[in-house]
Amino acid sequence: MSRTGLKAVVFVALIALLGALAARERSAVSSDTPADRSEVIFWHFWGGHDRKVVEGIVERFNASQNRYWVRSIAMPGSNLDLKLFLGVAGGDPPDVVNQDDPIVGDWAARRTMTALDELATPAELDEIRASLFPAALSLGTYQNRLYALCNGLDVRALYYDADLLDEYGLEPPQTIDELDAAALRIAPPDVDGSRARYGFLPDPRRIWAWGIVFGGQFYDWDTSEITVDHERNIAALQWMSSYSRRYGADEVLRFRAGDQKLPGAAFPLLQGRYAMIMDGQWRVRELAENREAAVAAGQKPRKYGVTRLPAPANGRQDAGWVNGNFFVVPAGGKNPRGAWEFMKFWAGLAGHEKDAAQACADGGWIPVSQSVVDQPVFQEYLARYPSFRLFVELARSPNQIPTPQIPGAAYLQDEVIRAAEDAIYGGTPAADALRSAQQRIKQRLSEIQRDAK
Amino acid sequence: MSRIGRKRELWGLLTGLSFVSPWIVGFSALTFYPFVATLYWSFCRYDLLAPPEPVALSNYARLADELVHGGRFGQAVWNTVYYAGLSVPLSIALGVGLAILLSYPARGQSVYRTLVFLPSVMPVVAGSILWMWILDPQAGVLNRLLTVFGIDGPGWFKSTAEAAWLPAWLQGTGGFGSKDALVLMSLWGVGNFMIIYLAALGDIPKQLYEAAELDGAGALRRFWYITLPLLTPVIFFNLVIGLIHAFQAFAQIYIVSEGQGAPQGSTLMLSLHLFLSAFKYLDMGYASAMAWSLFVLVLLVTIGLFRSSRHWVYYQGVGR
Repeated sequence: MSRTGLKAVVFVALIALLGALAARERSAVSSDTPADRSEVIFWHFWGGHDRKVVEGIVERFNASQNRYWVRSIAMPGSNLDLKLFLGVAGGDPPDVVNQDDPIVGDWAARRTMTALDELATPAELDEIRASLFPAALSLGTYQNRLYALCNGLDVRALYYDADLLDEYGLEPPQTIDELDAAALRIAPPDVDGSRARYGFLPDPRRIWAWGIVFGGQFYDWDTSEITVDHERNIAALQWMSSYSRRYGADEVLRFRAGDQKLPGAAFPLLQGRYAMIMDGQWRVRELAENREAAVAAGQKPRKYGVTRLPAPANGRQDAGWVNGNFFVVPAGGKNPRGAWEFMKFWAGLAGHEKDAAQACADGGWIPVSQSVVDQPVFQEYLARYPSFRLFVELARSPNQIPTPQIPGAAYLQDEVIRAAEDAIYGGTPAADALRSAQQRIKQRLSEIQRDAK
Repeated sequence: MSRIGRKRELWGLLTGLSFVSPWIVGFSALTFYPFVATLYWSFCRYDLLAPPEPVALSNYARLADELVHGGRFGQAVWNTVYYAGLSVPLSIALGVGLAILLSYPARGQSVYRTLVFLPSVMPVVAGSILWMWILDPQAGVLNRLLTVFGIDGPGWFKSTAEAAWLPAWLQGTGGFGSKDALVLMSLWGVGNFMIIYLAALGDIPKQLYEAAELDGAGALRRFWYITLPLLTPVIFFNLVIGLIHAFQAFAQIYIVSEGQGAPQGSTLMLSLHLFLSAFKYLDMGYASAMAWSLFVLVLLVTIGLFRSSRHWVYYQGVGR
């Protein structure tokens, strides 16, 4: 054989080898899907303990019927929206995605998601509208069309160290004045040196909750206007800034650095860093575990409690900022029908209430409808963790308001938080901070809306 | 040329091209295409999904407006310039200093060299998290150590203070903040530069030192008139590379700033602002305009450095 001939043979052999490897790689990816099932690719971001819960739900779904097979792909990290987005832009999206960022407005406006009324029967749509809690419905709706199906809500309330409040002869606060009084009593501002504990410190991110508690709003649904500089939002931010004014912004920033989520860092309330702190329902289980551990070690467990966010006199009761997990079906997905079946299974629709209740009890998640809450398996969960009841009650409240599902919601959310940081740590007057944020947001959102049309 | 000769030449060209094809394909698809495409997008409004819509210079006008009136872009430019302006000169000074110390023959010389170089092999993410621990304002090792000496440590990553902004010190509000912490972090990886200086030091002819010694030059004079001038080509190289890296720094900033440029945008560098604008706020046109501005800025700085190098960089064997 000539030299050139030999080269050609080697070249062809190499290409064939690469091709075979690539084919093997492709088939290896979906080898676990049975031949008689239609595959549903499911992206989610859960890791750790929750990952096992999610795998359990997927297994139960796969066992529950014989048409579809869900293959779950975990994508932990903070940029799931980006990956999903590039998947859609690149023409190879998954069939169903679980998300918790405010992307519904952006995605729906750009027609990158399948509206769920194209998948659901009219009866199913009626069921969704009738049974879902208002917050859950609002999280999935854009311009009166349902684009996302919420499967769990995240609600925040005020946790407190009951033993510590007792020590000072204080009751859990019910109003803003009581909260201020308790916080100042436990950590008087005029003490020199750095503190190991504060009574309470507002987190700038929570302007979204306190604005609503104070009676404000960030978006007017009737006029479709941004209302970031609503006078009650300003009042809320003024109140939030009062803490860093009293204690010193630098001191507060420095202290709050210790709350950050570094590996091994626990709930700051358990570390005794605060007497009262605002946090979500997921801490209920953490507090219970802490209690069990103390009992097992033969110690007297410390008492903790949780109560509604205190409101000022002209504020809203049972109010706050709510977000949640929801499913979306990216446009261009290959198996939207299978995706829809899986979503119903997890969210508790069309006779799947029991399956949804099981998922919520395993994951410590707040169900999205009363019919799921009423399931025996979830009632058992509530009996085991009584403080979880408050969160379920709050989830029902119409005063739990999410970030509006409009195009540019991520920008809106971040700009408002930046304004709060400027006011709380930078000393900018609350009204100025929110007004200049309002201007920037309006400008940017009008551009986005032009694009989306 | 004969027909066979021409055929052979063509075959040779094709073989050569096929061998470099992985690079050509990668360069065209991943560098050249984005380079050209972003130039076009920078004159468009583009959200990655809808087709780009030309808007002439409005992205650049927005950048200029934000630069003049202190918007996010202005803040990002200041942060980037501050970071690059501190970290690069300091890393050169420290790198040269360490290299000279480590070039003296001493017991365990190679151990010291390894120790200084070691941080450079640490992955950026692990290094960043380590530094977040060290510089935690309350629980961090450094501030605890400072407390022992009665010093109330700075807020580091949680503070917006800028140590090099001297007026703040005069007003009594000076301190070390997030960008200073990033500079400190960058100095930790100085081992990379140090290795290059060390190699350059070994290249300086011994006879120059001997001659200077015979003429009665002390250690300081020998450093100033021999070592430093003959290191200038390497210093120049490190200056250019270091500036480009500093302008593009991203991973460590993303990690320590919670992906947002926290606190209050004090770590919002150009690269991070660009990333957030493009992929979080889907504002690709604006981000492309920013990328091009960054490119032009780096280009101008580099040209300036090359121009100035004629006056301060000495090459051995080349007369001036």
